[in-house]
Amino acid sequence: MFAAENGLRGDPRLQGISKAIRVVPDFPIPGIMFQDITTLLLDHKAFKDTVDIFVDRYRDMGISVVAANVNVGIEARGFVFGPSIALAIGAKFVPLRKPNKLPGEVISEAYVLEYGTDRLEMHVGAIEPGERALVIDDLVATGGTLSAAVRLLERMGAEVVECACVVGLPEGQRRLDGKPLYILVEPRLSVNY
Amino acid sequence: MQPGFSILCFQASADLPFLVFYQRKGVMHAAASLLNSSNLSLRFASQTQTRLSPWIAAPSSVRLPLNRSQNYRIALPPLHSTVSGDSTQPQQMASADVKAQDPRIAGISSAIRVIPDFPKPGIMFQDITTLLLDTKAFRDTIDLFVERYKDKNISVVAGIEARGFIFGPPIALAIGAKFVPMRKPKKLPGEVISEEYSLEYGKDVMEMHVGAVQAGERALIVDDLVATGGTLSAAIRLLERVGVHVVECACVIELPELKGRERLGEKPLFVLVS
Repeated sequence: MFAAENGLRGDPRLQGISKAIRVVPDFPIPGIMFQDITTLLLDHKAFKDTVDIFVDRYRDMGISVVAANVNVGIEARGFVFGPSIALAIGAKFVPLRKPNKLPGEVISEAYVLEYGTDRLEMHVGAIEPGERALVIDDLVATGGTLSAAVRLLERMGAEVVECACVVGLPEGQRRLDGKPLYILVEPRLSVNY
Repeated sequence: MQPGFSILCFQASADLPFLVFYQRKGVMHAAASLLNSSNLSLRFASQTQTRLSPWIAAPSSVRLPLNRSQNYRIALPPLHSTVSGDSTQPQQMASADVKAQDPRIAGISSAIRVIPDFPKPGIMFQDITTLLLDTKAFRDTIDLFVERYKDKNISVVAGIEARGFIFGPPIALAIGAKFVPMRKPKKLPGEVISEEYSLEYGKDVMEMHVGAVQAGERALIVDDLVATGGTLSAAIRLLERVGVHVVECACVIELPELKGRERLGEKPLFVLVS
């Protein structure tokens, strides 16, 4: 579901957030219009608005865990939003990482890439059964990594309340098995910088 | 107890619990590295083969769960936050107005898990993921940095991939600065400038987006840990090449034995735990 259809219709912050995202054509491969959120991070107001919108939505949902994917192909972008949201709502932050990055005992979950598979790992003991969790990412495309994250958390007994992304297409919801997906803005399709 | 595993136990003072060092395969490891604190007077207490405290790190064949009674930094005598780079100050002490140990530091230190032999034998890995599970300690960590930097006119917080991305953005948001990620090659999609730096074996490259910062801006560089200072030095060079003034480097943890502070030379380094 888009933020604009969920209580934030006409909210000027959404426009500012969308405009702050730079589109880089043909990265990492030809044909992809890459949504570069680093320019959002340079715009203090837009960055703060992004975090504020998520915090306003989640602060009263009894969420004790914010988990973020740090395993989306080339990226470590889930790190960038998750900790700030966690701090503001008083939740723990749990990074979900590529294999062999987390030093302690882990559980892992495989997920499908366009070509091949990869794995997502989480520390054992990071969350307890019954905790209510939010999964945050900067971008959802196919929803593959998000669904792997949901499975990881559910295997440890957490209840995943929602998945949230800054940029995404509603198609990302298809692989989430009914788990709600909250998206701030759609991808931009034309170069704007 | 495994063969070849002997423990020396030091009592730092009458009212403090034991510091524990253990020796494995002929190499001394410290369960808590507190030797650089000038307030400790160490007395050799005993040498024994038995397990004396729950803080002894287990042998590397066991990967422990997140159990707070094991493998945590001992939050004992207050660990002074330290600043260097100012030639008018004694080497290890912070400036006069932060001489008293901030009471939040102990909780931060004890929330950091130490994992022996990761990623390879002989390395005591400082795992900050457990700090992120302690909401108070994580908030205190950010607060300590924000308090220090909020009135220093810093417009750029540069965070080093990947764990610098955990601490940098909250600090940037709180002090009204931009956040600029400093990344490994080929991850940033736009035009970049690069800086090569040395590793223990070989070299690596750090990149930053062109146009992310402007000449004359004042910057803070953030990472979770400083060891040899190699990545921090590369980040300093990258920013200075485009005319940015790096005010200070800030890390949660310092490994003083790896002399990162010296490698940074005159550039100030602020850490919470060392």
